[in-house]
Amino acid sequence: MTEPQILLEGFLQALAAGLLVGAIYGLMCVGLAMIFGIMRVINFAQGDFMMLGMYVAFFILVGLGVNNLFGATIGPYVAILLAAPVLLLFGYLIHRLLISRVTGARTAGLEGEGHYAQLILTLGIALVLQNGSQVLFGSQLVSIRTPLSSAAWEIGPFWGDFVSVFINKGRGLAALFSVLAILGLWLVITRSRLGRSLRAAADNPEASTYMGIDVDRAYRIAFAIGTCITALAGGLLATNYPFHPFVGLEFVIIMYAGVVLGGMGSILGAFWGGMTIGLVQQLSTLVLPTQLQNTAIFVCFLLIVILRPQGFFGRVVERT
Amino acid sequence: MLNVENLRAGYSSVPVLHDVSIEVGAGEFVSIVGPNGAGKTTLFKTLSGTVPAMSGSIRFAGHDLVAVPPHRRPHLGIAHVPEGRQVFPSLSVLENLEMGAYTEAGRRSWKENLKRIYSWLPVLAERAAQPAGTLSGGEQQMVAIGRGLASAPKLLMLDEPSMGLAPTVADFIFDRLMDIRRDAGLTILLVEQRVAEALQFADHGYVLETGRVVLAGDSRKLSADDRVRQAYLGM
Ligand SMILES: Nc1ncnc2c1ncn2[C@@H]1O[C@H](COP(=O)(O)OP(=O)(O)O)[C@@H](O)[C@H]1O
Ligand SMILES: [Mg+2]
Repeated sequence: MTEPQILLEGFLQALAAGLLVGAIYGLMCVGLAMIFGIMRVINFAQGDFMMLGMYVAFFILVGLGVNNLFGATIGPYVAILLAAPVLLLFGYLIHRLLISRVTGARTAGLEGEGHYAQLILTLGIALVLQNGSQVLFGSQLVSIRTPLSSAAWEIGPFWGDFVSVFINKGRGLAALFSVLAILGLWLVITRSRLGRSLRAAADNPEASTYMGIDVDRAYRIAFAIGTCITALAGGLLATNYPFHPFVGLEFVIIMYAGVVLGGMGSILGAFWGGMTIGLVQQLSTLVLPTQLQNTAIFVCFLLIVILRPQGFFGRVVERT
Repeated sequence: MLNVENLRAGYSSVPVLHDVSIEVGAGEFVSIVGPNGAGKTTLFKTLSGTVPAMSGSIRFAGHDLVAVPPHRRPHLGIAHVPEGRQVFPSLSVLENLEMGAYTEAGRRSWKENLKRIYSWLPVLAERAAQPAGTLSGGEQQMVAIGRGLASAPKLLMLDEPSMGLAPTVADFIFDRLMDIRRDAGLTILLVEQRVAEALQFADHGYVLETGRVVLAGDSRKLSADDRVRQAYLGM
């Protein structure tokens, strides 16, 4: 194997890893985009909602016997799918009981539109979820690995039978499901009556009321969908990534960075934001020590924010 | 159709409207005029429910509106075209119209309604795919009116549709409103600072000053009233 072949193989391998993990980050970011990007609610517990999604999937898999029923290969995916509606309901209830007190009509007139109260409240929710999970689940690492996570597809070899790229099957499937979930959500948001009413409520709550939309309900639904989507991403991530009650902290920053990168109001933008972070994270390992991965993400983030403050897909039109 | 009696309303317990009574019969065109800050917009918001009524009653088509939550009122047949247009900027023009048709009645008659809206305001058809936030003020006003019509309302409430528009554009919009009224037989409640036009087109009118109705009656009589002529018509 020659020097350029080694370089190329390393690059392609990092690119593939970046695309795969980027797709999951993208899905995570899309969840936050529903809540922060579109509805402009600051939610610091988003990472912990993701953590909860991971544990719920874990307990459905192990506790409800999904593992025995569907086998170790398909079982985890079934569990992740079943966890989604649980987290949808959880998000709906959290909004109804707590978040609604610091959003919407109640805080529209306040300084910062209630953002200070949202910050404190969601930080509180985050702490309760982290510590509660620690008490309930313990702090040892758990995972919902499938045998697919230790198998790979080989692409190649090419260039004189030397260069080939290995795609981890578990990550590949997780990325595929992420992309499908985003396409599904995108269709709902852009094409359906529900999606239109959510966008209208975000654009102009007062005028939405004049259309006959229950704006509080629209916010609640958006929050529930955002929670569910991020939790889904968490479950998919967990097929390759052991987790613990504080795993959310590692990802909440990635989510905010992705949403801002993509442009606040845009679902697809948030996906590309997350994808960019995945790519930068993985490609940076080619030239930087692994400990600097996250530094690379933020240098990149700062550069993009300086060069294009509205994000990749930022709206040209002002929000009223 | 609409019957407002002794209405008192305002912001955080400070009343802006005092003892306002207004009546709009089915098929009528009624104008409310008055200086800036008189409480015209507040009256409309109270009818739509985004400002709470403190006392008094609002009856609309057999319903006690005060007891109906704000987001249910459009479904009873009230379309509110708010001051400053308030289109959904990131939604396309067509999506804005579709939002108007969020009411049950609007959904049922969407296809025919859209055709009629396009025939009254053809520019909306040309701009259908464009985000409403990128349109000119006059075009946005047409979106707001079209959006109101798309709900298939019984009562169309228009809050200063000429605000901030060039006189020729404002004239165009008034002409279209007359077409719409003639073709659709719609009941219209209009708030305007352009008093001459507002009274010219109306069946009857009210003059609102500092939250009180100070004059009311047949619009021809109002236009001839000395106080109106001096204060609003510059004569
Ligand atoms: N959101 C608000 N909070 C407090 N006071 C308001 C608000 N909006 C309007 N007002 C006051 O209510 C009065 C009537 O305003 P408005 O209804 O907008 O009058 P008009 O539409 O006739 O110009 C004014 O004195 C105005 O300062
Ligand atoms: Mg006004």
